[in-house]
Amino acid sequence: MIEVKKVNKSFTLFNQNNAKITVFKNLNFEVNPGEIVALKGPSGIGKSSILKMIYGSYIIDKGAIIINNKNIATLSAQEILKLRKTSIGYVSQFLKVIPRISALDVIMEPLLNSGDNKNNAYKKSIKLLKELNIEKNLWHLSPLTFSGGEQQRINIARGFIKDLPYLLLDEPTASLDSRNRDIIINLIKAKSNRGVSIIGIFHDEYSRKKLNVREIDLNIETKH
Amino acid sequence: MIIPLLKVTNLSKSYDNIVGCKNISMSLYPGEVLGIVGESGSGKTTLINCLSGNLEPDRGKIIFNINNKETDFLNISESEKRKFIRTDLAFVHQNPRDGLRLNVSAGGNIGEKLMSVGYRHYGNIRSLATKWVNKVEIDKSRIDDLPITFSGGMLQRLQIAKNLITSPNVIFMDEPTGGLDVSVQARVLDLIRSLVNELNLTVIIVSHDLAVIRLLADKMIVMKNGTVIESGLSDQVLEDPQQEYTQLLVSSVLQV
Repeated sequence: MIEVKKVNKSFTLFNQNNAKITVFKNLNFEVNPGEIVALKGPSGIGKSSILKMIYGSYIIDKGAIIINNKNIATLSAQEILKLRKTSIGYVSQFLKVIPRISALDVIMEPLLNSGDNKNNAYKKSIKLLKELNIEKNLWHLSPLTFSGGEQQRINIARGFIKDLPYLLLDEPTASLDSRNRDIIINLIKAKSNRGVSIIGIFHDEYSRKKLNVREIDLNIETKH
Repeated sequence: MIIPLLKVTNLSKSYDNIVGCKNISMSLYPGEVLGIVGESGSGKTTLINCLSGNLEPDRGKIIFNINNKETDFLNISESEKRKFIRTDLAFVHQNPRDGLRLNVSAGGNIGEKLMSVGYRHYGNIRSLATKWVNKVEIDKSRIDDLPITFSGGMLQRLQIAKNLITSPNVIFMDEPTGGLDVSVQARVLDLIRSLVNELNLTVIIVSHDLAVIRLLADKMIVMKNGTVIESGLSDQVLEDPQQEYTQLLVSSVLQV
């Protein structure tokens, strides 16, 4: 379960006349195991910020985010690194591509980093690449030259390859055609059926419906 | 409870009355990569020179804890310190010419390092050297060539091999890709990254290039005027910087 409790978040832009942008005041919600929560609201309202606070890449100004009985707001850097490794999958909006590393290696890496053996990691990754419809001749190439949709699927594969209890998805179905979108939707459903707590940003009504999400409207949540 | 591999407390070093670094405290855990960023003169190099034994700090504590053995780095005898530096630490210089002997063959450079930690059998040294030359993507037919015949990127890869071959516990890197062409840089970075993952290395890397830090470092510290002004997870410091200077650094990076 993910619990977001009385969270405040603002940004101070020192180099732009100390402008202070308040994103959330007293934000509260929770995500139960097996549940898919969709964050809803116009762009700029802070949907991605919530995912980043849960992942620990944005500071939580006030309040608590509880995962595995641990409060992200007060964990040290190495505790967050450990929690990410053992518990949190994060699919960012764009794949951060590293030159010269093949798509297959990008996907295998999270498994290898947590001590899985190479053979096992290879088999799992190949299976996922096939499920995601990535053509075989691309597996050993750097995703740098892939199309947006292909990159996005590699990104999803990297985030989905491990069995983790929490998944954060930042527009996983954007830039995909309808066939690939359905494949991703089914993968997300499968995770949810296995009890994973999922919180995501889904730009299209279709995905939200198919995934049977519980919507959290940030327009309402952030009206103070 | 994991014990930090390296724990630094209130470390200070001045040059006459110029501050090198001041009251630095930090911890590094096994398998972590720590990035140090900051402008020229901010104290990055002074800090890693103190930590790696190249400079004697004025004040502070440096404690290494390797395989449950604690070493109070600033309070051991000179000979113990030399031995510790030789066997447990490694230093990759920005300019590979500072870390290699250019009039000794590539294999000889690596072999020397092995001999310094006690290897004596020529056959073993040769085969380990060959393995490592190969690991850093240098053709093994070049093992008997002098480094002066190598390109900048090859030299840097050779220096990395020389440093890693003895399995040091902490590796310091000072702008390891600083003097290289961009295309060569990517290859060296990539190599460092895969070695870090494969061998679970503990690394402290100094760079003024935030992209390098983002790619390699789990945690980072930002230095200014000799002090640490911000520290944390690399992605957190880069995406949500809390200090004015860090915001300026991050927002000054040109996007391609």
